[in-house]
Amino acid sequence: MTAVLQIDDIHKWLGSQHVLDGFSLRVEPGEVVGLLGPNGCGKSTVLNIVCKLLSYDAGQVQLMGEPLNKLNYRARGLVGLCTQHCALYPDLLPAENLHFFARLYGLSEKDRNQRVTELMHRFGLENFAATRVGRLSGGWQQRLHLAVSLVHRPKLLVLDEPTAAVDLEARMDLWRLIEGLRDSGTTILLTSHHLAEAQRLCSRVALMRSGKIVAQGSVPELLARIPGQAVAKVESKNNEAIMQRALELGWTVRQHAGQMRLLLPHDLGLREIVDALDGTRVTAVSVQPVTLEDAYLELVGDSALVA
Amino acid sequence: MHTSHLLWGQTLAVAQRLLLEQWRQKRGLIFWAVFPSMMMLLFGLVYAHNDSMRAGLDAAAAGILVGAALFFSCLGGTAAVIAAERERGTLPRLLTTPLHPAAYFLGVVIAQLLLALIQVVMLYSIALFIGVQYHGGLFLGGLILLLSVFSYVGMGFFLGARFARRSEEVVVALSAIGVPLLVLGGTFFPLEIMPQGMQAVAQINPMLHMNQAFKGVAAYGMGFDELRFELTFLFVFCVLSLALGIQSYQHLLGAEKSK
Repeated sequence: MTAVLQIDDIHKWLGSQHVLDGFSLRVEPGEVVGLLGPNGCGKSTVLNIVCKLLSYDAGQVQLMGEPLNKLNYRARGLVGLCTQHCALYPDLLPAENLHFFARLYGLSEKDRNQRVTELMHRFGLENFAATRVGRLSGGWQQRLHLAVSLVHRPKLLVLDEPTAAVDLEARMDLWRLIEGLRDSGTTILLTSHHLAEAQRLCSRVALMRSGKIVAQGSVPELLARIPGQAVAKVESKNNEAIMQRALELGWTVRQHAGQMRLLLPHDLGLREIVDALDGTRVTAVSVQPVTLEDAYLELVGDSALVA
Repeated sequence: MHTSHLLWGQTLAVAQRLLLEQWRQKRGLIFWAVFPSMMMLLFGLVYAHNDSMRAGLDAAAAGILVGAALFFSCLGGTAAVIAAERERGTLPRLLTTPLHPAAYFLGVVIAQLLLALIQVVMLYSIALFIGVQYHGGLFLGGLILLLSVFSYVGMGFFLGARFARRSEEVVVALSAIGVPLLVLGGTFFPLEIMPQGMQAVAQINPMLHMNQAFKGVAAYGMGFDELRFELTFLFVFCVLSLALGIQSYQHLLGAEKSK
């Protein structure tokens, strides 16, 4: 099957900075792929290249099996972009914004009317049909922004930190909408700083560092690469003693931002952990199953390997 | 490859959006209408007060239209459109669509042309009401107005794309550049009452030639032959201005892409 997006070994220099260093990624139809990594790792550069806002210096990018540089303006009809900044026209009504962008993509009047009605309904915007966009809350503006990026039925929806600028309630709302898109077969490439967002929405996650992918797979696959099934976060007055005891127990020890994290080979109760660490002057301990955050820290290498 | 059908659809979409936005900004719309109307009425009162100056009213009306109303509306309006796109972050959004730069440019031109047409009708309705007479050919007058609007839109793109990052900066830049050009363009005072040095400098001011061309037709009934120099100057300036506007817009798009 033809991949929606196929990126092979691309390189990008911005001045003397090697922003992308042999980046490769394949996105299959219907997949939701999350691109995660620290600030400056090249995530936005990848998205800008896919959206034809930026060129690349070496390598190859294909959209729907065709080289991106040969698609020219047609590439823009294949991709829909939604960023955290709502780039809409505040004096226009929601449907007027949708109509405007639909016309730029060349939708016929009949198709446009049908599509705008459909999106207004799907995104729950009908109640705000007579409200100018500038008077909508941030969350509703972002809903509309997402609807605008879908108005031309793109083959690939690119979401660049789509919930970064909205409150918790609006974020949950947007997650539900994106889940709906995923379930209806929309192919999505997403970047986010919310690891819980990626864990909830993505069928596959690619972890980036220094302009290349260091690990990728489904969330369970990435979790399986962590040397533990649960993580205990421990505070102690004697870290040395904790490390010594963990080594004796065969637990893996990591330190991140001054916090001691013990990767447990199997799920243990709080009582069992406290008992196991008896005599090490533990002041606080919590335990939870491993999450994407632990995989990120483990595989992107942000946490210091202690033992 | 863009089909002409898609290009035309995009052009109309941009023009309609701009006109709709203008219509929704009621306060701006009121000032847009009040400014030239007030100027026309005030000049009318001044000229009507003195019998010896009454003949100058026809020329004053032409000057107010080309030198003031269309200048602020078309040049300022275009620069404000570009600045607003930059401010709101909609320019990068547009760059992700298949919108052709030429369609955007033409869309702005069409919107400004329509606004200019409304302003011409509005201003000359007031002018005719207070006794101003239009003496020349309508076709020639229309051609001069068309060239003037194109020139202003080109300059507006230049100003908006190169200098004004925010809407407030458009107002400041317009005042700083526009008012001296208006004075040296003979909008408020006839060229003859200016010192020799100023008159020489005024000759390189395109607004002077726009003013003189339109005043020549509207107030003195001049034809093509009598206005050959002004028309040539205006045509060349119009082409240069549009080229500068297009080049500035392309430069802006390049800069937005590489952000």
